Amino acid sequence: MDSKQFNTQILILSDKLFRLAKSILRNEAAAQDAVQELNMKLWEKRHNLDEVENVPAFTMRAMRNLCLDTIRQQRDVDELPAEFEFVEANPHEQTEQRDLAARIRNMIDNLPELQRTIIRMRDVEGMEISEIAFVTQLTDNAVSVNLSRARQKIRERIINEQKKVEETIWIR
Amino acid sequence: MDKMNDLLEKYFRAETTISEENKLKHYFMSDKVMPEHEMYRPLFETFEMELHETADLPLKKVLSVQRSFKRTWIRNFAYSGIAAALLITLWVQLPQKSENYAIINGTRIDDSEYAQQYTEKKLNKVKVILAESMKPMQSLDKVRKNLQPIKKLAETKEKMKQIGKELDFKN
Repeated sequence: MDSKQFNTQILILSDKLFRLAKSILRNEAAAQDAVQELNMKLWEKRHNLDEVENVPAFTMRAMRNLCLDTIRQQRDVDELPAEFEFVEANPHEQTEQRDLAARIRNMIDNLPELQRTIIRMRDVEGMEISEIAFVTQLTDNAVSVNLSRARQKIRERIINEQKKVEETIWIR
Repeated sequence: MDKMNDLLEKYFRAETTISEENKLKHYFMSDKVMPEHEMYRPLFETFEMELHETADLPLKKVLSVQRSFKRTWIRNFAYSGIAAALLITLWVQLPQKSENYAIINGTRIDDSEYAQQYTEKKLNKVKVILAESMKPMQSLDKVRKNLQPIKKLAETKEKMKQIGKELDFKN
């Protein structure tokens, strides 16, 4: 792969890779660093990339693996759990999260890594189940199961919030 | 709208195709969303918003600057090339149009060799005509030469007069 091909096949994916990295790492600056690091690594190995059949899927898989390594390293340093279960925002936080989009984003970000990665690859990037299976190194069925769980969780949280809003209106 | 309800249920069970999910996205972006579906609108709006998030990467920037510089350079080079080509075409074609044809007896002749031969023939004819015309002039020259003795006679007469005067004075 020459520099021109690298530009049109790898660097063109930077925004997509950034969104994936941001979803996994939940940190914009760390996501940008991760994309840069991956681009550098792929540039060094660009001569081997000609053998890759599906460059976008291969690059997405490499991005996810790099982000998971970063989380593992961070966990070793900080001794903090990399994954959090959904903790419902307190009333004060809820008033801060008036922006509905920010609240939905928060709901997705609080899903386990695999589920939030899969839901975003499908619903934001519009990827096929088989492509997501390649990136996550799972079977198509396992991807569908995780996607269903992720969507159901989001639905439950949306319904719960809606109920709270209706209760608040009735109390007033 | 039951159809949308079924599609939404299918979506949450992760049984929808990409095309069906696109239908749902269009539905939630429209102003025809049913009140009972309204609570899901922010979910689909968020997916759409996230798709427009872009990375602010130095490497991407450098490459885009290089690309835009390259594009500008290529564009300038192309415009200069076109302008130069037009100038050369005008410079080459205009003299060709004015020099490389001749009109002979009202007909345009583009064959330069033929025009040259034709001109040489005509010039030879002119030369012959001029030579014929100059013949009387040659005769005049002969007359002039023949008149030379007469001129000398007049001179001799003048000299004789002077001699006669001198003789009278002596007498």
